[in-house]
Amino acid sequence: MVEDSIFLRSLDLFKDAFPGRINQILKSKEDGKKIVGTLCLYVPDEIIYACGADRVILCGGRSAPIVAAEEYLPRNLCPLIKSSFGSVIDQKCSKTKSCPHFGLVDLIVAEATCDGKKKMYELLDKYIPTYVMDLPQKPENQNALEYYIKELDSLKDVLEKLTGNKITDVLLRKEIKSANETRRLLHALYELRKRDSPPIRGTEMLKVLQQMHFLAPDEFRKNLVLLLDELKVKKRESSGPRIMISGCPMASGNMKVPEIIENRGGLIVVEESCTGTRAFWDLVDENKEPMRALAERYLKIPCACMSPNDRRIAQILQLAGDFNVDGVVYYTLQFCHGYNVEKYRVGEALKQSGIPLLSIETDYSGADSEQIKTRVDAFLEMLE
Amino acid sequence: MISVGIDAGAATTKAVVLRDNEIAGYIIIPTGFDFRKAGEKAYEEVLSKCGINKIEVGKILATGYGRSSIGFADKTISEITAHARGVGYLIPAAHTIIDIGGQDSKVIITENGKVVDFLMNDRCAAGTGKFLEYTAKALEISLNELGTLALVSKNPAKISSMCTVFAESEVISLRAQKTKKEDIAAGLIESIILRATSMVKKLGIKPEVAFVGGVAKNPGVVKAFEKALDTRVQLPEEPQITGAFGAALLI
Ligand code: SF4
Ligand code: SF4
Repeated sequence: MVEDSIFLRSLDLFKDAFPGRINQILKSKEDGKKIVGTLCLYVPDEIIYACGADRVILCGGRSAPIVAAEEYLPRNLCPLIKSSFGSVIDQKCSKTKSCPHFGLVDLIVAEATCDGKKKMYELLDKYIPTYVMDLPQKPENQNALEYYIKELDSLKDVLEKLTGNKITDVLLRKEIKSANETRRLLHALYELRKRDSPPIRGTEMLKVLQQMHFLAPDEFRKNLVLLLDELKVKKRESSGPRIMISGCPMASGNMKVPEIIENRGGLIVVEESCTGTRAFWDLVDENKEPMRALAERYLKIPCACMSPNDRRIAQILQLAGDFNVDGVVYYTLQFCHGYNVEKYRVGEALKQSGIPLLSIETDYSGADSEQIKTRVDAFLEMLE
Repeated sequence: MISVGIDAGAATTKAVVLRDNEIAGYIIIPTGFDFRKAGEKAYEEVLSKCGINKIEVGKILATGYGRSSIGFADKTISEITAHARGVGYLIPAAHTIIDIGGQDSKVIITENGKVVDFLMNDRCAAGTGKFLEYTAKALEISLNELGTLALVSKNPAKISSMCTVFAESEVISLRAQKTKKEDIAAGLIESIILRATSMVKKLGIKPEVAFVGGVAKNPGVVKAFEKALDTRVQLPEEPQITGAFGAALLI
């Protein structure tokens, strides 16, 4: 069982950040700053900030906005897509009070990743101007990198037009440097999770990472430093099977599965996810020409939208070893074809390495919580 | 020592009393609306059936979907672990366990009596006892009749819907087309077999195969399973109580 006897004060900085951040965005808007909304890790933060704009993530993790979204979108679509779209609709059409940031963005910088998102963006554009950046779908192709650099250059133009500011190499380098600093801090934090008794739980870590692209980078980094200081000195008794979560992102509001795992006695030590390692693993080369260095780094993100994606399988096996993982919970959202199909190959690779896998495919409703508990219990009993 | 295992299933609640690892008695009652009440009732009835006083009971272990509602249990365990233990004891040669209950179905692979892999279908009634129960109603026969009727079919009807609601209307249209009752019955059974065998194939069959759960009492289903898997299927004497039995053993 994981003991919850210690209290991490700095975690509240992340948990309670919401109202402050909304006020900050409102103030920025008053000062004439442009707000950019994003929905994917392939859109480099560095370029947005180098342009003097602010950025906020629009990935929806709550189930409430889905009803509104289903007036426009099919029911059999990934809940993350529906929740994100529904949150914008809620703001633009009915002006609900929750999640006002969805209504505050001036431009959405979207990306051509999965089919569902791509087509949803066409509808979204009616409510908030949406620019869709293209992505090479085969990252190992010879000209994939050059193509991606061109796309980032176009994004640069779009952002310069939006803000009226010029993006210089000096500004880019400055942003790259501080973003790398954040990545290093997260690496240091994950290092602590390799301990036999990690000082931070998976559910706590997830709450931190869900804020990564919501808060302004400086504030996120500042809070991270405080958290790391606190974690370094605190000892915590935690035990239980060591679990890696791998799969779809868990956007803010979506805690269902990690909460069940840790409440039932599992210990989440690493998440191979966009609210996990994929968000910070690789650093940007600070010695290279900035746009190229950015493109190289971001193209390495092992998302299941890409093919082939062997690098993701390699990464999962590597993490399983480094974090001394007893079992993997493969987490997918319903109708996410990329991650659901890729499950087979991940499962095969894990089987060969003798690492057990539990697959959980779910949505944002609580309807299947009891069933998930049974599976998780059985999995943990099997690992003990 | 006396121990009691209670399997709080969605459709039926099972209780098994063990005296020094031997079954002293068991009971199967419908769960109804309230897991807790059914658990208490099964517990009391099985004790009186065995002539055992509550104070003689050493430990109580609960399993099954409603296990957390059995407040008087000393411990709870998932039904996957419980079935693996129960079947492992009764049929030591079994390494693939198929359990089809009232509301869910699962396949468990074991090694030295321990679970090494499992799959579960519990999101809908497709491939479970409920599926047969509903569709038997559309045929206006009982669940037992469905099984025996299916045995005489020479030409099972194709039921393409996995979904219980759609299958029910499919049965109605087959009847309108004057398809023989036994052929529809056999078709229905094939449909749930298909679902379970695909789970078995996903995990990889590991001999021997044991079949447990309420649906295993249906001879038509057992026969169809043996045909689909091309292997003999072993049944415990009372296939419905292996979960509760395993739980009692796990104490
Ligand atoms: S899972 Fe893929 S599409 Fe989704 S945020 Fe991550 S990189 Fe982007
Ligand atoms: S979880 Fe899958 S389907 Fe949903 S937005 Fe991400 S990649 Fe697309």
